[in-house]
Amino acid sequence: MLEYLSQGLGIALQWENILFMFIGTILGLVFASIPGLTFSTALILMIPVTFGLDPVPAISVLLGVFAGGMSGGSISAILLGIPGTPSAAATVIDGYEMAKRGQAGRALGMAVYASVFGGIFSLLVLMLVAPQLAKVALKFGPAEIFALVIFGLSTIVSLSGTSLNKGLLAGLFGLLLTTVGLDPVMGLQRYTFGQSWLMIGIGIMPVMIGMFAFPEIIETFQRAKNNKGVSKEPTDKQVVKASFPTLKEMKSTFLLMLKSSAIGTGLGAIPGTGGPIASFLAYDQARRQNPRCGKGAIEGVGAPEAANNGVTGGAMIPLLTLGIPGDSATAIMLGAFLIHGLAPGPLLFQNYGDLVYAIFISILIIYVMVLVIQFFGIRLFVKVLDFPKVNLMIAILAMTVVGSFAINLNFGDVIIMFFAGLLGYLMKRYGFPITPLILALVLGYTIEDNFRKALVYSDGSLAIFVQSPVSLVFLILALIMLLAPLIKPLLEKRAKADKA
Amino acid sequence: MRIKKLLALVLAVILILVTGCTAADNEQKPEYPTKVIDMSVLFGAGGGADVVGRKLADLASKELGQPIVANNRVGGGGAVGYQYVLNAEPNGYSIVWNSTSISTSYHAGNMPEGQDYSAFRGVAKVTDEASALAVKADARWETIEDFIAYAKANPEQVTVANSGVGSFNHLNAVLIEQATGVKFKHIPMDATTSTTSLIGGRVDAIVNMAFDIIQQEQAGNVRALAVVADTRQDSLPDVPTFKERGFDADLTMYRGIAVPKETPDDVVKILEDAFIKAGKSDEFKEFAGKYGVTVNVLGAKEFEALMKEQDEQVAKAMDLIGMKKQ
Repeated sequence: MLEYLSQGLGIALQWENILFMFIGTILGLVFASIPGLTFSTALILMIPVTFGLDPVPAISVLLGVFAGGMSGGSISAILLGIPGTPSAAATVIDGYEMAKRGQAGRALGMAVYASVFGGIFSLLVLMLVAPQLAKVALKFGPAEIFALVIFGLSTIVSLSGTSLNKGLLAGLFGLLLTTVGLDPVMGLQRYTFGQSWLMIGIGIMPVMIGMFAFPEIIETFQRAKNNKGVSKEPTDKQVVKASFPTLKEMKSTFLLMLKSSAIGTGLGAIPGTGGPIASFLAYDQARRQNPRCGKGAIEGVGAPEAANNGVTGGAMIPLLTLGIPGDSATAIMLGAFLIHGLAPGPLLFQNYGDLVYAIFISILIIYVMVLVIQFFGIRLFVKVLDFPKVNLMIAILAMTVVGSFAINLNFGDVIIMFFAGLLGYLMKRYGFPITPLILALVLGYTIEDNFRKALVYSDGSLAIFVQSPVSLVFLILALIMLLAPLIKPLLEKRAKADKA
Repeated sequence: MRIKKLLALVLAVILILVTGCTAADNEQKPEYPTKVIDMSVLFGAGGGADVVGRKLADLASKELGQPIVANNRVGGGGAVGYQYVLNAEPNGYSIVWNSTSISTSYHAGNMPEGQDYSAFRGVAKVTDEASALAVKADARWETIEDFIAYAKANPEQVTVANSGVGSFNHLNAVLIEQATGVKFKHIPMDATTSTTSLIGGRVDAIVNMAFDIIQQEQAGNVRALAVVADTRQDSLPDVPTFKERGFDADLTMYRGIAVPKETPDDVVKILEDAFIKAGKSDEFKEFAGKYGVTVNVLGAKEFEALMKEQDEQVAKAMDLIGMKKQ
């Protein structure tokens, strides 16, 4: 192992490799931080570039985009209230609250710290227990993934804010939206009205962009119209200072960071789950620890960011040990391996141990780069808030259109984005929380897909969900989450009555 | 002020470059192609179909002197991309990286009536991809005969995962049943889940693209028992074909370039020459080999005949599983 480590270090530290890591990281950060451009787009752009590179720089540039992208999604989530990637949707809740209170710099600092923490944690897991974790991940069939995702969905209860009923309604509407398109098992068209662009369903990105951006845009324009002075006013008058968490804050959040990173790494290792679920589950943990979450607490920013970066190392586990990509990012990386004649799997570790270690070291360097780039970047990013808000919103409006078109080169997505934006505005006005809808939209397809696939195994018997112990545990946990708001007051009442 | 001056300078340089380039192009005055060609890729970025298609486009664009840009138009088993190309002007600037999926998506009812393979004309067929049947590395079946004999003795007991209802691999699983006279229990999954469900021990066997299986075989996770093809695959030299073991199953996935039917002959000819040259180049063959793809180039006429022949085979198999809608 030591021999591989030193050889790997030699490969990883070649100037060409460092250069491409740097390019990838910057590209990932930039693409993820602009609403509408995602790091998946950046990955696709980099595919042809990897053709001509040596294996390690080719993988490094993609890893840079992946890790940079996971951490960059938080920038627009915090500053603009629009998540740059679906994985950053949970970061908006507390991040944007903090920004509104003039603590954008502090939120960004926490996000960077958490991202690097999560990334390096997942790297350690990848290096130390990848084969063992891969074996566990393989035990997750459709029934287990279904139960896990239902558990993820049950966090709607804690995302609903003041009104649980409105949150559940929003969630159910999100689930309803996921039924549009081809059904996951039979491939039958549902609610497509003969439109071919609806066959791919209601995309997460256009809905997310529209729902988070439009309420803000409309409100800003309204204010500007009513009060002419506003149009020149900078977005936030307070002096925004970039600051990393203090030692005391690091100490108090250490356990939460550890838990969130573990959630991210674990879910990253299970093919077919990934970033959004991990970040919402971690956010739920943060909420348990700090009741101030939701009103702008660093825990609410740190937990989802540690989790979604934990996914990066986690997703490499099935890829490297089994040759199975868990998401679209690792699918593109698998392609890069194959172009260079490397087949991921156990043989990769035996025959190309030096390359594997070079990749590990590259991930470490990439996270150091993320830290450094973001450290200087934050001072630059927060300048966005010095911009007159009306101008900023016009720029964002343009980005929402360009971005939603760019996802699939499909004009239908732009239409969906506008409708989602309008709906988002109305929801906000009438006190419906948006996040439960987004969560349901992100998870809905996975839920139905795995539910029905599980039933194919069991010949239609629902018993499969309780026969598998893993599935049973997650379903019970989900049930507890859902019933807790009903039972808790009853228990408290009884406790009071007992005392009296 | 300094920034403005710099900007003006940069703009001037760009302008000179742009006009310079167009002036050079005007000297040759080719009729086609004079601008960028858009190639629709029907499946996700980074997958085998995508990467090999992009490489081919890259090589063909060198022949044509104009860039070919690959754009992923995913959905409906290919229907979204096919309809995009059919709705574009039939002038050769919108082409599709076609495959057997034109037949599967049409018969599954995802294409409007009448827009089947015959709405397109072939430019050139470039590659073949075979399916294979594989079991877990520690399974009790050593050969395809063992497996078929066991399946015969236990009808509808042996679980075989494929990549989705009506998918190419589902059809092949059904054609294997037909050819061998057994009945499997089909488990429609998707390409990745079917592999994990085999390694995870949830199914007895899978029918998947040979290429996806090769990696798992090299890793020692699975054992390929037979491939569905006319000849053995270069990448799996020790694995027999169903045909050589006396089972008549040989539906192989083709990939090639197609354009809408109304595209003029001279444009098709120019594209055909370019793609045949690109497909036959050593650079492409070497590249495709890494993806377990067999390069087998056919011209426009032969490609059209193949599209028709496969469409009949696919229609028959879709009918067998009750998925044929049109």
